[in-house]
Amino acid sequence: MSGNSTVVGGRPLDEVIRRIIADVLVIAPDAVQPGKALVQDLGAESIDFLDLVFQLEDALGFGVPYQRWQRYVAANYTGKDLAVVLTPEVIEAFAVEVMAEQALAAP
Amino acid sequence: MRERVAVTGIGVVTPIGWGYDAFGEALRAGRSGVRRIGAFDCTGMQTQIAAQVDDSTGDLLSWVEPRKAAKLMSRSALFAVAAAGMARRHAGLSRDAVDPERFGVVVGAGGMGATDLDLLMAQAQATIDSARDGASGAWDIPTFVRIFTERTNPLAPLRGLPNLAAAHVAIQHDARGPNATITTACCAGTQAIGEGLRLIQRGDADIVLAGGTDAAVNPVSVLGFSLIGALSRRNDDPAGASRPFDRARDGFVIGEGAGFVVLERESFARARQARVLAELAGYGATCDAYRITDERPDAAGATRAIELTLRDAGLTPAEVDYINAHGTGTRMNDVTETLAIKRSLGAHAAGVPVSSTKSMIGHLLAAAGAVELAATVIGMTEGFLPPTINLGEADEECDLDYVPNVARTAKPAAALSTSFGFGGQNACLGIRRW
Repeated sequence: MSGNSTVVGGRPLDEVIRRIIADVLVIAPDAVQPGKALVQDLGAESIDFLDLVFQLEDALGFGVPYQRWQRYVAANYTGKDLAVVLTPEVIEAFAVEVMAEQALAAP
Repeated sequence: MRERVAVTGIGVVTPIGWGYDAFGEALRAGRSGVRRIGAFDCTGMQTQIAAQVDDSTGDLLSWVEPRKAAKLMSRSALFAVAAAGMARRHAGLSRDAVDPERFGVVVGAGGMGATDLDLLMAQAQATIDSARDGASGAWDIPTFVRIFTERTNPLAPLRGLPNLAAAHVAIQHDARGPNATITTACCAGTQAIGEGLRLIQRGDADIVLAGGTDAAVNPVSVLGFSLIGALSRRNDDPAGASRPFDRARDGFVIGEGAGFVVLERESFARARQARVLAELAGYGATCDAYRITDERPDAAGATRAIELTLRDAGLTPAEVDYINAHGTGTRMNDVTETLAIKRSLGAHAAGVPVSSTKSMIGHLLAAAGAVELAATVIGMTEGFLPPTINLGEADEECDLDYVPNVARTAKPAAALSTSFGFGGQNACLGIRRW
């Protein structure tokens, strides 16, 4: 997807994100394409982001509080139409950010 | 002159069949849906039998649109959505045939404790782990919080809200009218349909999807009823365990499922040339205000619910051709109910066939009254009385005609369906041929 070479559990991060989004939204993984807005294009509603962050935690193997996602959105997308701007790449970038934080925090 | 209210569609998910045709055929055949519990390991439980829905009977998820909505559905909510969908299809009610704001939903729901087996297991495991990990071996709540938060998808507890069945039905049907959930346990389904009748009579809706749902075949609910001695322990003979009015009865059998009817204002039904199954003619509801698990020995509350229904439906006792009883198969209910029928119908009681479909499908709790109303209408429309199976020798205090063991050909012009709940709540519906 993004070409990002980060690996999670032996699989490329972008593939992991695609599978999580597909599972959360009950759509085919193929439907999760770059640039597709989760809300506007793929049918996500607010509660789905809770599910998504929970599944991301599972995949990454460390706690990711929902508030962390909310802070990320507030920091990067305040004033934007979230229904339009939240795409799989945004989820991936969030995952990269929290993984970097986790790597710094771990001894 | 009050406009009549028609029953124009029926949908059911039951342990003996899904939908009008299959359920009706199974009722006529006197089939039992009671088996050894398969949903979980019931080893060591005093009651190891239940009337479960066989998921392979059909595709419940095919009734959910979009499929994604099922993520927020407990098993009982999914039953409700499927049964409501079947009822609407049976009524031949197209999408654009209803003004959403005139379309109401009333659902009997909210069984004992959580009904989502996965959530129950997650909670149990987190509690066990926190007690083990904590220093004292007692329930260490801070540790439980950590473990539960790590493991539990936030959507899971949300599924347990009792009002979600009615919410999901409304979303599926774009029903923006009055929406209510009734939680009077064993009589919730009957009350939900009665309140649906009132919605239309009050002018608050033209169409109502009314019914009940429950999916209590899980360890906590089964134990809950088992511990108070309400359940049959006839584990070696599951199909014979639910024996309403029989001398050897020893309690009820828990069942799961859902039943829905489409209720329609007469003028609305006529305008769209609906096929009408029956008239929902009357409703009566009372409370014993006596005890939580004992009924009044004089059956006063139950008697009055029946009398109120007769009056509401404009029926005399002589006109009642059939009663679908609450008939749980507990020592107490069957005697008290027999007394209530005698007190309310007087001399006519001896000549009125009374049967308990719980003998076949078990006790569907909040869904019972709705599924039993459906059975009553099916019988009236198809020309038979469902039997009370497993009636070997009637209790000496139960001396009415209970339609023993075999369905009977008959064309009832008017019938009653009774339900009595833990807590002393009594409800009854009156149905007339259209």
